[in-house]
Amino acid sequence: MNSLQGTIVDIEVSGQLSLVTVEVHPKTFIKAIVVETPESADYLKKGQAINTLFKETEVVIGVGESFHISLQNRITGTIKSMDKGALLGKVVLETQMGEITSIISSSAIDQLKLRNNSPATALIKLNEVMLAKL
Amino acid sequence: MINIQIQKQLDGPEGPMLLDLNLQVPMGQLITLYGPSGAGKTTTLKILSGLMQAETGKIMVADSTWLDTSEKICLKPQDREIGYVFQDYALFPNMSVRQNLKFAQPKDKDSGIVQELIQIMELENIQDRKPDTLSGGQQQRVALARALVQQPKILLLDEPLSALDLKIRLKLQDYLLQVHRKYGLTTFLISHDIGEIHRLSDWVVVLEEGSVVRQGSPSEIFINQNLSGKFKFKGEVLHIEKNEVVYIVTVLVHNEVVKIIAQESEVKNLGIGDAVIVASKAFNPIIYKVS
Repeated sequence: MNSLQGTIVDIEVSGQLSLVTVEVHPKTFIKAIVVETPESADYLKKGQAINTLFKETEVVIGVGESFHISLQNRITGTIKSMDKGALLGKVVLETQMGEITSIISSSAIDQLKLRNNSPATALIKLNEVMLAKL
Repeated sequence: MINIQIQKQLDGPEGPMLLDLNLQVPMGQLITLYGPSGAGKTTTLKILSGLMQAETGKIMVADSTWLDTSEKICLKPQDREIGYVFQDYALFPNMSVRQNLKFAQPKDKDSGIVQELIQIMELENIQDRKPDTLSGGQQQRVALARALVQQPKILLLDEPLSALDLKIRLKLQDYLLQVHRKYGLTTFLISHDIGEIHRLSDWVVVLEEGSVVRQGSPSEIFINQNLSGKFKFKGEVLHIEKNEVVYIVTVLVHNEVVKIIAQESEVKNLGIGDAVIVASKAFNPIIYKVS
């Protein structure tokens, strides 16, 4: 499980859902949508220290400058290591917040021409991010 | 409100133990007592019913005092307006279902109640049969109806459904909820079945070694509140296998075997037989009807 620590800076509530913005590094945010509200979960409050958790298999890897895609959780880094199997490959990104691991297909690693020490962006859908109180 | 303050010295599984409770619960709720064997759950129900005595304590139900050892007040079981159902139904074998219910009916009470309960509990087709010709689920339905014939205010259920299979148990849970609501009962249930507790209870009291260690709504008690995953189950690790760059962990959840993809860092501290929580966001699972 990837884990980035941060602080809750914003909470938007609608019905039973909350969209929670967590600052994991100055000016770097992870957004998470959860089926909780500040009434149902006491950790949902601004200023709360929180862990954002997301599974390696849910991390999309992008290279290049701009992506016209819906994923808003974007963290840039440098590829630290790669481990390629027949079908799946593990890509470890070194970022300012620590390591982020992604499991993508080995053919995608080839197609994107990923190399160690080259820049890449980790993208995570906001519904894949879990929150854990610190 | 029901106010229970009782102390009693017991022989627990680990030696002598003091049952020491201080509980306040609103009337009309369904309260589950949950905890390991020997924690004092059954003793609590027996003291509430008057079948067992507390050494010291006080039980107030609304405005009436059932027990106050300092004033030497202790109402007899028959004066406490209580219905009691145990795991092993004790029906009279020589009487039919209807006769069993009639026998429990107080002389001065409304005679329509037996017929009403036969209808609510759907006992019409078996009302003339003797208990030994009935299935376990049917017998327990009769036992529940019989406990309600006395029109109690408080219903005490000591693992009443634990000997029954899942399908019958679910059906009986529906009957329980229905009568609990219809008669405005305050119900105390002892159960180890988390699904049952979630379906039935308003409030859960966790007992350990004679003391209340936690209480809250079923979700507060059984869901780890500090993690936002909504698809969450307790399980046991059966097998861990490396597959290319990931690990496949096989986990037994209730009686289903599931597989989870994990990373080396996650399986590093996992061993076969370990208790684990399997969690996912509420957004991921797919739901479809099977029947």
